[in-house]
Amino acid sequence: MIYDCLIIGGGISGLTCGIRCSAAGLNCAILSSGMSSLHFSSGSIDLMGYDGDHRVVYEPFEYLESFIASHPRHPYAKCGTSGIRDALFFFRDQLSAEDLELYNNEEKNHFHVSALGTLKPTYFSQRSVFNEKVRLAFQKRSKIAVLNFSGYRDFHPALAISNLRKNRFFSDIEIVTGNILFPDYGSIEKNPFEFRSIDIARIFDTEKFLEDIAGQIRREAQDAEFASLPAFIGINNYKRHHQLLQQLTGLLIYEIPTLPPSILGMRIDNALKSRFAALGGVYIAGDTVTGGAIENGMITHITTKNNGASPVRASQYVLATGSFFSGGLISDAGGMREPIFNLKADFDAERRQWHSPSLFAPKGHPFLEYGVATDESLHPVTQDGDTVKNLYCTGALLSGCNPVREGCGGGSAVATGYHAAEIILTHTGKKHDKA
Amino acid sequence: MNRIETDVIVIGGGATGAGTLRDLSLRGIRAVLIEKNDIASGTTGRNHGLLHSGTRYAVNDLESARECISENRILKKIARHCIEDTGGLFVTLPEDDPSYHSKLIEHCKYAGIPCEEISVSEALRIEPNLNASALAALRVPDGTIDPFRLTAANILDAQEHGAKIFTHSYVTEILKEGTSVTGVRCFSTDSRDTFEIYAPMIVNAAGVWGQRLCELAGIELKMFPSKGSMVIIDYRINNVVVNRCRIPSDGDIIVPGDTVSLIGTTSRKIPYDRIDELTVDEDEIETLLENGEKLIPNVSKTRVLRAYSGVRPLIAVSGQLDGRDISRGIVLIDHERRDGLSGLVTIAGGKLMTYRLMAKMATDLVCKKLGVRKKCATHRLPLPGSEQKIFSSRRVQKFTGIPNSIVGSTFYRHGERVSQILSSDRRNYGLVCECEMVTEGEIEYALKNLNVKNLVDLRRRTRIGMGPCQGGLCAYRAAGLFPRYNAASSVESNRMLKDFLEERWKGIKPILWGDALRETEFIYWIYEGLFGLGDINFSDMEGEEHA
Repeated sequence: MIYDCLIIGGGISGLTCGIRCSAAGLNCAILSSGMSSLHFSSGSIDLMGYDGDHRVVYEPFEYLESFIASHPRHPYAKCGTSGIRDALFFFRDQLSAEDLELYNNEEKNHFHVSALGTLKPTYFSQRSVFNEKVRLAFQKRSKIAVLNFSGYRDFHPALAISNLRKNRFFSDIEIVTGNILFPDYGSIEKNPFEFRSIDIARIFDTEKFLEDIAGQIRREAQDAEFASLPAFIGINNYKRHHQLLQQLTGLLIYEIPTLPPSILGMRIDNALKSRFAALGGVYIAGDTVTGGAIENGMITHITTKNNGASPVRASQYVLATGSFFSGGLISDAGGMREPIFNLKADFDAERRQWHSPSLFAPKGHPFLEYGVATDESLHPVTQDGDTVKNLYCTGALLSGCNPVREGCGGGSAVATGYHAAEIILTHTGKKHDKA
Repeated sequence: MNRIETDVIVIGGGATGAGTLRDLSLRGIRAVLIEKNDIASGTTGRNHGLLHSGTRYAVNDLESARECISENRILKKIARHCIEDTGGLFVTLPEDDPSYHSKLIEHCKYAGIPCEEISVSEALRIEPNLNASALAALRVPDGTIDPFRLTAANILDAQEHGAKIFTHSYVTEILKEGTSVTGVRCFSTDSRDTFEIYAPMIVNAAGVWGQRLCELAGIELKMFPSKGSMVIIDYRINNVVVNRCRIPSDGDIIVPGDTVSLIGTTSRKIPYDRIDELTVDEDEIETLLENGEKLIPNVSKTRVLRAYSGVRPLIAVSGQLDGRDISRGIVLIDHERRDGLSGLVTIAGGKLMTYRLMAKMATDLVCKKLGVRKKCATHRLPLPGSEQKIFSSRRVQKFTGIPNSIVGSTFYRHGERVSQILSSDRRNYGLVCECEMVTEGEIEYALKNLNVKNLVDLRRRTRIGMGPCQGGLCAYRAAGLFPRYNAASSVESNRMLKDFLEERWKGIKPILWGDALRETEFIYWIYEGLFGLGDINFSDMEGEEHA
C-alpha cells in the first residue's frame, strides 16, 4: 500500500498535519514510537509568550508581525501570521469536534498558573484553566483555595502559594490552602502515596468518589469562590466531572498542571488521535522508523522496526519527530545529527557553545534552537546539499526556534504541521477540501 | 551576639573534622564543629570513593600504603554500612610495562597488603566487563566507601555523645589573647547570624582551606592544591574496583559506587585562589573516557552522567611540581611548638582512607594538652548504623508489607538505623526518588537528624537526585517536603530547588551530549517551561526567617 502522506512522529505537530491532510481526503498514516511531548506539557497552547528581553507578550499576533520580519529563520516566518492564525483556529475547531473546547482571550494572551505559582502567558487553554468566568472571578479579586490531595507527591500548594503571593496581580487576593484525603478504595496493590496524576485521573473517571471529594473541597475551600486542584479531574469524562464538581461545590474549579504525565496534555493527545481516526487516518503506534532511502532528491521508501525489510511507501512524507528528548535529534561528543535521513542540521560546531553557563540563564540555551534547517516550504536538505522535495519537516525538530524562552512550543508545532499539510494539499490538488 | 563555650573547636566538616569531633566526644570532651558549607562538601565528597587497599601507593609511598591497609581493615569493621567489600583488580594491558606487575607484588609484600596473582580468565570471571585482552591480573582488598555516609555517621555519633555542629557557617576571625587562641567568630550563611565560640583548643581540620584559616590566625601554612577530575557513568558497569597496573597516571581506575561507576582521576596543579571554582577541562574528560574504555570497553557505550573535580589537600613540603609525586602523608602541626601560638593544632594531608587515624592523632595531641587521659576507641566502636554484622531476618519481618527493594536501599544507606526510618505507614515508605529508592520517611529522618539545611545537603545524606534522571522529578517533590517538616519556609524551598538544579547542572555541563543532553532538555522543559522556576525573583528574601 502506498499512502498519499506518511507522517513520522505522532505528537501535536504530526497529528495536526495528519488531521488537515485526512480532512481533505488524503490517505494518511502516522507512525509513532511512543509518548509525545504533550504528555509533558502544560496542556495550554502557547503562541508567543515572551519577547527577546524576556518580557511578556500581551498581543501575540500583533507582536508576530514584527517578530517574523526580524527572524526570517524562525519556523513561524515560514508560516506567516495569517497562516499561523489559520492553523491555530483549525486546531481549535478540530478539538471542538471532539468535545474538547479551547478558550482564548480574544487577541490577547492569558496566563495560566504553574505548579510553582508562576504565571505563564499562553493563547489557548482548556475550560478548567481559562474561560470567561475565570477571568471575571479574577477581576473581582475572589478568594482562592489552592487544594491538594494529602500526600500527592507531584504538587505542593505551599510552594505555589508563596510565589503567587509575591506576584503583584495576586497581592490583594486572599489565598488559602487545604488538603483532601484520598478516598478509600479498599485494598489496592499500589501505594496511594506513589500515585501519579494519571492514577488519580482514572479514579476520577470512575465517578464513584465525586460526591465525597466535592464535600471535602467545600469544607477545605472555606469560603473561597475559586478552588484549584492539581490537574487530574479525569482523562476521559473530564468535562462532565469538572461540571459536576462545580455544581456539587458551587465553586469555580481550576486545574493546575503538575509534574508529568500531564493530564491536560493527554486530553489533547487523545482528542487529536480520535479526530485523526474519525477522518480515516491510520495511527500506527509503537513502531520506530529505522531508515529511509533518498534518490534524486525524493524519498523512495522508509523501513521500520516492525516491518523489517519490507519498505513502507508514500508519495509525500512529513518528519515531525521532535527534538532531542523525543529522539528527533541525536547528539554525541562530536556533534549532532538527524538520525533517520541524516538531514543537514544547524548547530554550533564547538560543544561549549551549546549551552549557557547557568541552567536558568535568562537567555536560555542555544541547543534548544538547534535542529533541521529547511527552505520556505519546510523541505530539508541532505548532507550533500540536495533538497528533499517530498519531505517536510515540522515541529520541535526545526531549527531557529527556542520554545521555552519564546513561549511558542505548541504554536510553532501546530503552525508548521498545518503549514506542511497546506503545501502538500496544494501539491496534490486538494487544497480546498475541508471536512 | 551568641556566645558558646566548649572544650574544643573543630574547624572543617570533612571526614577528618567529623572523625575528630567523634573521637573527642567519645573521650568525653565537649566539642563544637564548624563547617563553612555542608559536611563532606569539599575534598571528602569529591573523590572516587575508593576504599584503598594501599596497593596503589605500595611502590611509591610505602608509609601511606601501610596506613591504608591498616585503616582498610578497621573501616570494614566499624563502617560496614558505608562500605562495599567488592575487592579490586590490578590489570596489565598489552601497552603497559609488564615489569610493574611483579614490582607491585613485591612492594605489597613489604607493605603487608594481601595481593594475589590470578589468571586473566579468573579476572574475567570476577569482572566479566573487563578488557579481555588484559595480560595479567592481581587481586587486592580494594573496596568502595561512601564518603557522605561515612562523614554523616561520624557526625551523628558525635552529636549523640553531646557534640554540637554548625554547618553553613564560616570563621570570620580567630580570637586571640597574647600568644594563645581563645576562640572563633563565625557567620552563618543560613541564619545570617554572627556568633562566637570560645575554647582552650582549636583543631584546624579544614584541609586545603586550612591555609586561609592559618592566615586568619596570623601564621603561615602553605598548601599545594592539585585538582583531580572524575567522570561518573550511568549504570554500574563493574562490580569490583578495576585498576590499571602501571605507574600512577590519569584515568587508571574505575570504581563502582551504588548505582553508578566512576572513572578517576586526573592530577593538575592549580593556583590556590582557584580552589573554590574548580572546573573540569574538556581534555580531562577525553583522557578519562579514553583510558576508562581501555579497562572496560563498555564505557564507550554507556551514558556519561556527570563530571566533577576535587582538590587534593597536600601540604607543600618540598619543591616537587607534580601533585601526584608529593607524599599524601599525614601532617600534624602543633602551632605552639612551630609558631609559638598556643591552643591551635592543624591536622592535614592524608586522605579519606586515613581520616580516622588523622582524627586520632589530632585528638591524642589535644588530649595531651588538655590533660585528658582517656584512650582512643574509634578503631573498635562501630559507627551508628554499623553495629551489627548482618541484617537480621527478624528486622525484615518488622517491615512486612514494605517492598524489599525499599528496605534494602534504606538499609544499604543507613545500616541498622533503618529501624528508625521505615514504618508500616504507607506515606512513610512512599517513594520520592524512584531512581535511588528514597522514601518520604528517609527524607523526614534526614531532615530531623542529619543536619540538612537544603536540597543539596539532602542529596549527600540520601542520594536523592544522584540517579539517571539527576533530580528531574524528585527535586520538586523533595523541595515540597521541607515546609511540611518545618525544615524551611516555602519561599526558601523554591530557592533551594533552583540552587539544587544549578548545582546538578555544574556536573552535567562538561558532558552535555547524548542522553545527558536529552535529560537536560527534559529538566529544562519541566522546570523552566512548565514551572517558570528561572523567572522567580529571589532578591527580596535576604534574611527571611524559617517558617
